[in-house]
Amino acid sequence: MEEITVQFMLNGKAVRVETPPAFTLLRLLRERLGLTGTKPGCERGECGACTVLLDGEPVNSCLILAPQVEGREVLTIEGLADGDKLNPIQEAFIEKSAVQCGYCIPGMIMSATALLDTNPEPSRDEIKTAISGNLCRCTGYTKIIRAIEVAAERIRKR
Amino acid sequence: MTSYRYIGRRVPRIDARDKVTGRTVYSTDRYSENMLRARVLRSSLPHAKIIRLDVSRARELPGVEAVLTHEDIPGHNGFGIVTPNWPVLCVDRVRYRGDALALVAARDEETAEEALSLIEVEYEPLPIIETPEEALREDAPLIHEGGNIQHSMDIPPKGDVEKGLAESDIVIEETYSTQFMEHAYLETEGGVAIYDEEEGVITVWCGDQYAFRDQLQIARSLDWDPLKIRVIGSPTGGAFGGKDEISVQIHLALLAYYTKKPVRLHWSREESIVAGPKRHAMKTTFRIGMGNDGKLKAIDVKVVANTGAYDTIAGPVLNLSLESSPGPYKYPQSRFRGISVYTNNAMGGEFRGFGAAQVVFGLEQELDKLAERLGMDPIEFRLLNAVEEGDISALGHRLQTSVGIKETLEAARKTDLWRDREKIKRDLNAAARYKKFGVGVASEWHAVGLGVGLPDFSNIIVEIHEGGEIILRTGAIEIGQGNLTAYAQMLAEALGCDIEKIKVIHGDTFESPDSGTVTASRSILINGNAILDAVKTLQPKLIEIAADKFGIPGDELEYSDGRVSFRSDPDRTLTLAELADHAGSSGVPIKVTGTAVFATSDKDFGDGLPHNYYTYITQIALVGVDTGTGEVEVLKVISLPEMGKAINVDGVEGQCEGAVVMGQGYTLYENVVVEKGEFKTTGFATYILPTALDVPEQETVIVEKFEKSGPFGAKGVGEAPTVPVTPAIVNAIYDAVRVRFKKLPITPEAVLEKMRDLAGTEER
Repeated sequence: MEEITVQFMLNGKAVRVETPPAFTLLRLLRERLGLTGTKPGCERGECGACTVLLDGEPVNSCLILAPQVEGREVLTIEGLADGDKLNPIQEAFIEKSAVQCGYCIPGMIMSATALLDTNPEPSRDEIKTAISGNLCRCTGYTKIIRAIEVAAERIRKR
Repeated sequence: MTSYRYIGRRVPRIDARDKVTGRTVYSTDRYSENMLRARVLRSSLPHAKIIRLDVSRARELPGVEAVLTHEDIPGHNGFGIVTPNWPVLCVDRVRYRGDALALVAARDEETAEEALSLIEVEYEPLPIIETPEEALREDAPLIHEGGNIQHSMDIPPKGDVEKGLAESDIVIEETYSTQFMEHAYLETEGGVAIYDEEEGVITVWCGDQYAFRDQLQIARSLDWDPLKIRVIGSPTGGAFGGKDEISVQIHLALLAYYTKKPVRLHWSREESIVAGPKRHAMKTTFRIGMGNDGKLKAIDVKVVANTGAYDTIAGPVLNLSLESSPGPYKYPQSRFRGISVYTNNAMGGEFRGFGAAQVVFGLEQELDKLAERLGMDPIEFRLLNAVEEGDISALGHRLQTSVGIKETLEAARKTDLWRDREKIKRDLNAAARYKKFGVGVASEWHAVGLGVGLPDFSNIIVEIHEGGEIILRTGAIEIGQGNLTAYAQMLAEALGCDIEKIKVIHGDTFESPDSGTVTASRSILINGNAILDAVKTLQPKLIEIAADKFGIPGDELEYSDGRVSFRSDPDRTLTLAELADHAGSSGVPIKVTGTAVFATSDKDFGDGLPHNYYTYITQIALVGVDTGTGEVEVLKVISLPEMGKAINVDGVEGQCEGAVVMGQGYTLYENVVVEKGEFKTTGFATYILPTALDVPEQETVIVEKFEKSGPFGAKGVGEAPTVPVTPAIVNAIYDAVRVRFKKLPITPEAVLEKMRDLAGTEER
């Protein structure tokens, strides 16, 4: 099928990329833009591993078609750190040992980012709700929830 | 008490930074120009003869580079960790819905998908066998020529179990059944292969648990020199036992060989559920006798495993069910028998907990029932019967390594949740009258290592490079549990160097030595011992290098804390970097190997039984049961593991927390539903995993006990915490609503039905 051109803001930079029209945003990121931090876990919107922010909202990138991002803003895990300087959520995930196999972690951190961007003082239940669409099979979520709490405290203190 | 810099502390993982930035490259993250996309044609029937398989139309489709069938397999058409009877591509028969018939490689996913639809298969359906009961009927069709019993095990009885039961004051008998369980690692099976024609080397990247065994299994099927097959199996996005066996590896190697192009194959979630191995469904019957004094007298256990279509590692799984079934308790008389039976259901295989989860679910309920008969506290009852180091086990072998079951029970008894449980339940109930609350306890011993008679070893390499960089090479795979960090901690501690100086090269058959498989909770113990063995060789070597540099005899020097110094003048030293520079300039780089082999039990019952090391663990659960809906909420779980010495406290907690939630899923939600061989659960909308909203508050109380033959006193902890959490929850449900469950998972419907039955009985 003929490819189309899509233009959008990706991690703060304008990109213009050719894509088959039926490509999902997930496949576009991974297969055309080399951003493999966004993970396929089920490719039908059931696991959250492919979560990215679309205009600031967390979405399953496996459920968004590439042409839908035209003119919009996409933030992926690769766009969080400022060079070598990690963002507070990433730092807290390391410090609180919230990472095991790590495959769900980019999606988990993107959901946490969306939460803390809009709600800097979330309750534990709000944190759990925010990541309830992100499955993790390794950690039991305990240290992930703790890491998000720690990150929230740090962001507030700034 | 030895004071350590890294051991027994909370050490951040060495791989975490790359994982939180998305920089970690998993095998399914590899893409390149001209990379073909592969797909597998799976059987559309659970049991059938293949009458005709025609791939000609698929081969003609533009963009298709290869369509392969069994005729294209140069070597052995089968794989399997123990018995390689699982076909790479089926010849004339399919035995389950996940069976593979043909492979396609094409320029893109869409073309590969279309090519699959052009493959014509004509089947002659055969009767579908769902359960062992059906498979064992005299007129049952044979799934394999040798019969429908895959494996049977009868451990030599200890004493006379019938006599022991006859002499018991109280005898109870019950049968428990458990479902197939899905690993549900977030990264499904997948990878990439490339064939380098010039070198004759096929490279396969595939997240696995043992690259060296994959290398041999690929070589056997391709009739290829194993040394010309490179497997890179690390890191992987979760494994839990499910990636110890072959999945995509042989298919990828075949396609790379035939197309001479890079090929990528990544299973869909549905394919992962249908084709990959599961935790075996099992039925376990217990007969247990005890005296009026509360002492256990005899145990008779029978296990029947539904193993699905092929062997993989079903024999050892069943064996470990039997070994785990008495728990860490003393019984003068015992008998353990089991069979594993072929069916056309889901494929049974290796899964964290390895045969133990199924049987401990029943045993620990039986023990609570016995304690209740005598009006004894469940922890007191377990303490009364628990084994100690030096005791003869229920199986008849001597427990010659650390035994901490009593310590875990004592620690459990001291927790607030246990001590104040009546008050806690009352307070909760006051706030939610429609709910009932309960607290339950359960324990387990979980074997560490492969067991007696099996090749249970590790090799590692330590190198010190110019500039002082230390390289640790291990064949071990990072499957998520944090073993690489633990190895770095142990090496840094033993060498007295900074952990930041250590780089771990892992899971690559060309770049690291064979450290054995990452399974059986074995990696910390065996790789730790291999690391310590390497350091033992390394220290005299470093002194030798320093002696050469200073031009003095080695016995005037000593090694400590990352440097060699003069005995007479401790300020005159050479650092590791200086030593490496000197060694490098003299052309002999610093490189040593370390090896270790598991010490084994004093008895050998065959097939790996029994084991010499165990993790001991007690877990306590607090649950709330909604009496209107039957829904069970797990509010709190405390894990109290004895795993020798904890190497990384965060790592031990992480293993417990993840395992508890896995056990919670097994107990309450998870069930691979297969009807007449067809999978009804094909994704996470139908196969329900616990989410962040479902999980309990957790606490881990590490009960340390030094194991003298383990590195720094460590054993292992990967599997145990996923096992007794199930009966702890079930015992807590009983405490709350006085109903017991013989079958998993415990759905709200099952709870309501049991509660109605109970109410009916009470009315009568």
